[in-house]
Amino acid sequence: MKGTWPAVVFFALAALGPVVVRDAFLLDGLILILLWGATAAAWNVAGGYAGQISLGHAAFFGLGAYSAALLGTRWGLSPWIGLLVGAVLATVFGFVLGFLSNRLRGPYFVLATIAFSQVLLIVASRWRGFTAGSEGIPVPFRPGFWTLGITDKRVWVAIVLVLAIFLYLVELYLERSRRGYQLAAVREDEDAALSLGVPALRLKVAAIAASAALTAVSGALWAQYVGFVDPFYVFSVDLSVRFALAAILGGIGTPLGPFLGAALITTLETYLRARFGGIGTGLIGIYLIIYGTALIVMVRFAPQGLVPWIGQRLRRRPVAGSGS
Amino acid sequence: MSLLSVSGVTKRFGGITANREISFDVSAGELIGIIGPNGSGKSTLFEIISGFYHPDEGAVSLDGARLTGLSPDHVCRLGVARTFQKLRPFAGLTVVDNVMVGALTRTRDVRHARARARELLDRVGLAEKGDAYARTLSTGQRKRLELARALATEPRVLLLDEVTGGVDQRSIPGLVQLVRDLHRGGLTLLVVEHNMRVITAVAQRIVALYLGEKIADGAPDVVTRDRRVVEAYLGQAYVQ
Repeated sequence: MKGTWPAVVFFALAALGPVVVRDAFLLDGLILILLWGATAAAWNVAGGYAGQISLGHAAFFGLGAYSAALLGTRWGLSPWIGLLVGAVLATVFGFVLGFLSNRLRGPYFVLATIAFSQVLLIVASRWRGFTAGSEGIPVPFRPGFWTLGITDKRVWVAIVLVLAIFLYLVELYLERSRRGYQLAAVREDEDAALSLGVPALRLKVAAIAASAALTAVSGALWAQYVGFVDPFYVFSVDLSVRFALAAILGGIGTPLGPFLGAALITTLETYLRARFGGIGTGLIGIYLIIYGTALIVMVRFAPQGLVPWIGQRLRRRPVAGSGS
Repeated sequence: MSLLSVSGVTKRFGGITANREISFDVSAGELIGIIGPNGSGKSTLFEIISGFYHPDEGAVSLDGARLTGLSPDHVCRLGVARTFQKLRPFAGLTVVDNVMVGALTRTRDVRHARARARELLDRVGLAEKGDAYARTLSTGQRKRLELARALATEPRVLLLDEVTGGVDQRSIPGLVQLVRDLHRGGLTLLVVEHNMRVITAVAQRIVALYLGEKIADGAPDVVTRDRRVVEAYLGQAYVQ
């Protein structure tokens, strides 16, 4: 899985989706896979490539979602402007968090990120006059591309596909560029990287800020797609964990990993919820147990994540064939 | 004209003075050994020169430009590279990628950096290990890797911390030869070393530290016979 062909196949299949499939339920699944994949990829910029594990990325996602929703409802501005404002705000907060990462390492940094998202949750859910508090904000539907009032799910697939491919290219850049190599060095051993002239502090801060901005972009699009922003969802630790989990399961620090991880999680969750989540079956909530078990199995057998795991299988096969 | 100048460097950790008013100059092309028993302040001095510690008093300068107060990455870009006593390879990266990180400090071109890294690996005798992960290397190979990585930053002064420390006896001559070759190539080196036989064989000049102070500075045969140096290493009973 060293080359880019698996990614080409993945994104080509996603692009073919709306051509082949008309079913709204399946298209919705595809949109969510791409959107969660892009968000996990944004997380991966900080968590994977810079080695700064965050469990507070919902903060940036929520900033994006709220920016789009509030600018739309309060001032009638386009969600695209909201998306930009959200990205700028997230960049600013990302810088703050980035500087914190130089004081707080490892678990302490993780705790700081959780606290950070919780603070934003409290602000969003208590500041009734501005954010509508814990009731959340219904995003007004105004038809048109500029207002992102789109009912055709095929257009949504196209929008999130562009975002997903952009995120993949960002990761590819981090894989192959000078800055990417330097960031890998910082992740492996910050002091050794410093001793070799790598501006570790600046790189880490830049990576976290970029990761934050990209996460906010996802948040803004998500708010517009779903049509409702609930502070207890968009700022939740659950959501932060989902981003991290998708990237970790798929293969942390690999470009395609977050997308495969998101595909796995979203599919599993949607399927289990539809199969066992119905009221009256007496099995409400059992999907969570199956979901958890599946994750444990994954971590047991492919601890490095899907991409490295599949990569190993592919490499082993031809060797076994020629050896016999 | 000295290339590297250490003047009046003092560093305290709480009540302990790790370095007290240490001064010496290094000329271009010199190979200076720094010796001293455990706790004499050698490592602290290294950390100060490379920018990881900031001294309480005094300063270090390279070619007249002040290094003290700059961050370690800045110090490296100005031309002072170092290795670590406790080796710190980027374990999860390949050997060639390790060296590339150093090379990328001097070039923006990734392909150029990779070619340069291969060249240096060849020079330190690790050409065949290029694609292996750094974590699979032996201690001796890791020392060579650190050397290649530091050289890739094209230093004007190279600080080596315990080149032969923790390495099996058979690997020592090769490493010593490598240091000699670098010196012969015109590189200025500052070498911390425990192994007295090694240091007296390669160094032109030796600076001896004891309890944070400089107690001797001069030619190897003079310094190793210095009364205070012998006393510091072996105790008063051995002073003749």
